[in-house]
Amino acid sequence: VTFLAHGVSVRSDLPIPEWLFGWAAAMVLIVSFVALAILWPEPKLQREHWRPLPARISRVLTSRVVEVACGAIGIFLLGVVVYAGLRGVQSERANFATMFVYITFWVGLIPLAILFGDVFKAFNPWRAIGRAAGWAAGKASRSGLPAPLAYPERLGHWPAVAGIFLFAVAELVASDGTRPEGVAVATLIYSAVTFVAMALYGVETWISRGEAFSVYFNLFSRISVFETRGRVIGLRRPLSALAALKAGPGTVPLLAVMIGSVTFDGASEAPIWTGIAPDIANFFQDVGLSPRNALELAFLLGLTGTILLVYGFYMLGVLGAKSVGGGFGARELAKAFVHTLVPIALAYVAAHYFTLLLYDGQGIIYLLSDPLGDGSDLFGTADYEIDYTLLGSNAIWYCQVGFVVVGHVAALTLAHDRALAMYDRAKLAVRSQYWMLAVMVGFTSLALWLLSQANA
Amino acid sequence: MSRNQRIALVVAAVAVAVLGFVIAQPGDDENGGDRAATTPAQTDTGGGSGDGGATAPAETDDEPPPPPEPEVTRIRMRDGSVVGGAQDIEVTRGDLVRIVVSSNAPDEIHLHGYDITRTPAPGEPARFQFRADAEGAFEIESHVAADAGKDPLVARLVVEPS
Repeated sequence: VTFLAHGVSVRSDLPIPEWLFGWAAAMVLIVSFVALAILWPEPKLQREHWRPLPARISRVLTSRVVEVACGAIGIFLLGVVVYAGLRGVQSERANFATMFVYITFWVGLIPLAILFGDVFKAFNPWRAIGRAAGWAAGKASRSGLPAPLAYPERLGHWPAVAGIFLFAVAELVASDGTRPEGVAVATLIYSAVTFVAMALYGVETWISRGEAFSVYFNLFSRISVFETRGRVIGLRRPLSALAALKAGPGTVPLLAVMIGSVTFDGASEAPIWTGIAPDIANFFQDVGLSPRNALELAFLLGLTGTILLVYGFYMLGVLGAKSVGGGFGARELAKAFVHTLVPIALAYVAAHYFTLLLYDGQGIIYLLSDPLGDGSDLFGTADYEIDYTLLGSNAIWYCQVGFVVVGHVAALTLAHDRALAMYDRAKLAVRSQYWMLAVMVGFTSLALWLLSQANA
Repeated sequence: MSRNQRIALVVAAVAVAVLGFVIAQPGDDENGGDRAATTPAQTDTGGGSGDGGATAPAETDDEPPPPPEPEVTRIRMRDGSVVGGAQDIEVTRGDLVRIVVSSNAPDEIHLHGYDITRTPAPGEPARFQFRADAEGAFEIESHVAADAGKDPLVARLVVEPS
């Protein structure tokens, strides 16, 4: 029997009950039509209305000391991940590398981004190393450093698409992707690529446009009300920074990868996938692949197919919106509305990974004391046991449904506002919205369905 | 649409949502008793299973309602694989769960989440006995199978809310 180690969790949520699924789906429709009727008639989110907080707060939080300290913490954690992955026990849940990367970092930074803005930028180890290197090189050379190359506009978000896709492959497809050693090696390779790219295109340029995790967390941080400009921290209207997102080449595929990979993670535990995966794997085995590679290839196909379906569904809505007239091309419309998918992506992540962070995330408590899994006890917490009784299934179900419905409302609010800003005739704005609304109801219903299917 | 109309619409929608919730939610009039609190008197403790099952204090008050005999789930393993494939063990929170794993080879069976490990050997089945207090689906794995690169899943413990 072949199998793939799937993620890092040993606990899974129970599927939401049928009645809750039905009620939530009905709620989504009610909320949609009520929102259409009562939302504002003039665009409100197209300008951010950024206002600085009192200067004292900014002076402390953006000071050199804090900046260097945050960067140092990031670099230290990167070092621990690599060291623990290479030297620690090769057991996923007993090694800091796997648990930190897949839970604390990948999932845990998202609520921080939603609450406090682009926190990862401050702790980003690659940015900190790049800036320190640039500073040191600038000091060392008399003539100053050569100017970096101009970032090719055609690249847009494509490097981030590749990065997030490969991360999903490591998590959901590769059988060694969650092995501590695999995590450490992948981290080293990714770091090397990032350093080369930063040297070519400049640290801040690559960080803001090409570095996958910066782009990923920055997208979610745009939901937050906090934004730092230069060295000043300010407040902006919620969601307005999403409306200000500059979509370029690769932005729509990026969102498709984000939503598609979570969808596949959910669906791959459901009968719809577990029923056909062995057949696909057997086919590849007959062609001559080893059982493990055959299963990996089947999962790679599943992941890619799901992402393409998500992309195709969005583009279908875009084509519908194009058909109402107004003189916009499909590409233009796809980019104009892609920011509305960010709250949807957040809803998917929150509903699917909420309990992973709540429960398995506690693992970091014992791993801080015993990062290598070798029995050491640095801070006296090595014996901590995860408390799986924090929230009962009923509370978890309501949270999950709540995330999905709130994400849906945020998405359709953004779409409404963008439509008002784009179309000068109110009638066209309304008609184009029906199409985007259909897209969102589709994505939201899929999210609810996945919740009702989990481990069924 | 005037301000009042909007407010009326929101109120109406909220009313529909709440009403729908109340109608859709299944009533919980069945099993009203505090099942989870009763500790069934347990006489059978595990024979040769490591540190044995926890013995529940058997308080015999005036006339306790006879506790339902907890069902025992039996899992048979042959050469590191589960006979009949890995199944779900469905229980309700608060239940006393008893699982017996027999194996024709020495093994190490781990129930994740509840973090209980037992070591069956030929002729010496491993007995798990515990109160299901955490909800969710938890994997039961064979460490021997995992070390051999085989599918380690022995069963899944599915704990439904009470």
